[in-house]
Amino acid sequence: MTTLPAAVRQESYLAEGRTIRSWLLSVDHKRIAILYLVAITGLFVIGGFAAMLIRVHLLTPQGALVSKEEYNRLFTLHGTTMVWFFLIPSIPTVLGNFLLPLMVGARDLAFPRLNLASWYVFVAGGCVAMAAMFAGGVDTGWTFYTPYSTRFASPAVVLLLLGIFIAGFSSIFTGLNFIVTTHTMRVPGLTWLRLPLFVWSLYATSLVLVLATPVLAIVLVLLGVERLWGVGIFDPALGGDPVLFQHLFWFYSHPAVYIMILPGMGVVSEIIPCFARRPIFGYRFVAMSSLAIAVLSFLVWGHHMFVSGQSIYASMAFSILSFLVAVPSAIKVFNWTFTLRKGTIRLRTPMLYALGFVGLFTIGGLTGLFVASLPVDVHVHDTYFIIAHFHYIMVGGAVMAYLGGMHFWWPKISGRMYPEGWGVFSAVLMFIGFNLTFFPQFILGYEGMPRRYATYPAEFQVLNVLSTAGASILGVAYVAPLVYFLWSLRSPPTAAPNPWGARGLEWQTTSPPPPENFVAPPIVADTPYDYDHPAPEDPTHG
Amino acid sequence: MTTTFTMAGLGDALIRLFFRGPSGTEIGGTADGVFMFIFWWSVVLFVGLMGLMFWFMVKYRRRPGRIGPRSVSHNTALELFWTIVPTIFLVFMFFYGFWGYADAIVAPAESLLLDVRGQQWSWMVTYPNGAITGKVMSTPTGGGEAYDPARDNPQAAIKNLGAKSIPLIVVPVNTPVQLRMISSDVIHAFWVPDFRIKFDVMPNRYTNVWFEATEDQIGDHWVFCAEYCGQDHSEMAAVLRVVPMAQYREVVEDKWGPKSLPPVEYGRVLYNSKCFTCHSVNGDKNTGPTWLNLYGNEHEYTDGKKRLADDNHIRESILTPGAAIRLGFPNQMTTFAGSLGEHEISSIIAYMKTLSDKGGPAAAPPAGAPAAAPGGTTGGGQ
Repeated sequence: MTTLPAAVRQESYLAEGRTIRSWLLSVDHKRIAILYLVAITGLFVIGGFAAMLIRVHLLTPQGALVSKEEYNRLFTLHGTTMVWFFLIPSIPTVLGNFLLPLMVGARDLAFPRLNLASWYVFVAGGCVAMAAMFAGGVDTGWTFYTPYSTRFASPAVVLLLLGIFIAGFSSIFTGLNFIVTTHTMRVPGLTWLRLPLFVWSLYATSLVLVLATPVLAIVLVLLGVERLWGVGIFDPALGGDPVLFQHLFWFYSHPAVYIMILPGMGVVSEIIPCFARRPIFGYRFVAMSSLAIAVLSFLVWGHHMFVSGQSIYASMAFSILSFLVAVPSAIKVFNWTFTLRKGTIRLRTPMLYALGFVGLFTIGGLTGLFVASLPVDVHVHDTYFIIAHFHYIMVGGAVMAYLGGMHFWWPKISGRMYPEGWGVFSAVLMFIGFNLTFFPQFILGYEGMPRRYATYPAEFQVLNVLSTAGASILGVAYVAPLVYFLWSLRSPPTAAPNPWGARGLEWQTTSPPPPENFVAPPIVADTPYDYDHPAPEDPTHG
Repeated sequence: MTTTFTMAGLGDALIRLFFRGPSGTEIGGTADGVFMFIFWWSVVLFVGLMGLMFWFMVKYRRRPGRIGPRSVSHNTALELFWTIVPTIFLVFMFFYGFWGYADAIVAPAESLLLDVRGQQWSWMVTYPNGAITGKVMSTPTGGGEAYDPARDNPQAAIKNLGAKSIPLIVVPVNTPVQLRMISSDVIHAFWVPDFRIKFDVMPNRYTNVWFEATEDQIGDHWVFCAEYCGQDHSEMAAVLRVVPMAQYREVVEDKWGPKSLPPVEYGRVLYNSKCFTCHSVNGDKNTGPTWLNLYGNEHEYTDGKKRLADDNHIRESILTPGAAIRLGFPNQMTTFAGSLGEHEISSIIAYMKTLSDKGGPAAAPPAGAPAAAPGGTTGGGQ
């Protein structure tokens, strides 16, 4: 590994200024990515802490820790924080912000000031939402179903809606920025079909963000109007229809699921070719399946409503479309697997996360078939089977990909290597803890335990205790990277520009990059997956 | 025979494809059947895929000195294969599930119709005879009964749900039972995990589920609220007890039903379900004589005699109505022998007494008794 000359290190974006002010007023996409990293890590800790309290509470059938009301607030805090303030922003705002300009060879995003504004808007939304949940106490769940939310829940629900409404603008700003950057700021030679798959997945994600988030904003405003001024929209007592709320809510919230998972698919599509030393298999199919997912994601919201009394013809259409949305995801999984074929596979930490993602995402996807099927969904709807299913996608998928990406690009972001032994240890621990936490929940749900239950019949206790045991392991596994990433900052930034021998443009500049990203604009002549030609910087260490 | 292609023909074909014709037969997948089908398909795919991945991981692991060969990085035929084949399976999976679903959602016309009301945080079921379960009744008028796990639980499978009493819903075996559901407040969902049925219970419209319990389902089954409804959501449970028909009658008709009411009230319920179409209680002339001031007075008959309407005369008129016909009325009434037992007849007499000036002081209706509504489905206590 080469050590960069000191002169180059001084020019890194990290050294550009050391005051708080130089960070808070920076319009450098790399610094804004770090701001987002700090914000969402804090929010992840809050949401994760709520999850731990939930799991401890469920150790006994009568509830071991809190009152039923407090339990209901805890799962609302967990769900709302994790969905809107961690999963949706996570990969796009941290890795996407940092890498998109680097990957397209640009100096920054198209609208650097809008990017900084999006962070402030996000933080403001997060503060309002946290204030609502900590000071007021909201117990509606993250889904805000009416008429419970508009007639019975605490008035603080309006403040929480406001927080999410504000944070939504941050999503729209980021989405717009990514779309415009991808269209207009690619360096010469970087054609659409030479784009890294991470960029494709960010592009698809941004389309969903820009198109779906306004619908969320509308439905939140309508909820607030009903709650504050008694205008009948969703509450039947006022002449409204509660099913209308569900349609509007899921019209955003189902695509939101793909906002969370698409970027993770992009990360995995970068990591696997690098550590298999093989071009990604079926580049076009992997890229286009991201767009197919983005389009189909808008057409399946009704599968959340199979038992809500919607028309059987609607259920029929949503069921078949939900089966079909599995196809582009399956294509990706097959292509990732075939990328390994005839490769030279190194099982470093990012690769462990990526392969863990493939396995867990496949389980999450296959269990999606059960809930797409009408008679099976009637049984498992609103049970722990659903909880397990979407945690396999969100935690086994999105969070694993996020952490895989953090390890992969940590040398680029910080200029430091993470400790490999600890990395492997926590990745394996996370995989074990995750499965022990969530696999029992599939069985729990099928056997009859509904979700959002503060207390439960005694026959479900064994599986709940198993799940809590798994969650304890998972908790430890999450703390480890937080500690060793921070610890690594103690040493000087000596990471090589390209420690993995990867082919993307982001590896052709220093680690960490200079404020202007590239000293000389790069020129692109091939795809970023040209791993068949052994490069001079191919690492020989294992 | 020639078949002409028409839009109507296409419509029929589509209906046959999706709903398999109007004769909902049993070939569609049940929830468990579809579940197991998807389960084994997924297991095969998952094991195959992961096996392949591990095989590649071992076979192509990095070894010093070995440089991976250059190889193709795309294969359109392979891509199309793994796009199209899963699609076919998925479409079949959809149909397999949908066929079962289409059969399962429509209750047979002869179903026993129970009304279910969900409210924060309890269930209440009203039976066709007016019997109610679902909440603790302090008087016998409602016929309801709380589920007391200590006393009522015959099965170890159903465990105590905390200290709370939860309702007991009794249904007969081998009988289609349809639940017509409505909520008094927020959205709930009625779920019987053992029967694989669930449906949201809405505050603004009826929703329905139905089931037919089999012999081996005799016993207790959980009912849970599956849609989050507020603080005590997790305790909005009930026990659904499947019993033989004879036991169902005993519980729902004798123990909970109007039969358990005081005779006057039961007589009023019987009047409202069986007698009111021909007999008024306010003096108006109808097909048959009014019951106002009938009991204890003498009336003229078509054979020229006068008779005193005493207990025995009324009993005879109910069981053999043609024996004596009141003057001015047709011989229209059919016998109620067999459909009304002695308890029913004496209860009707008790009710008649309250309508007559000769009925005696004991027959005055109890203060605060529930007003009976025509139609006969009101058991009081609601």
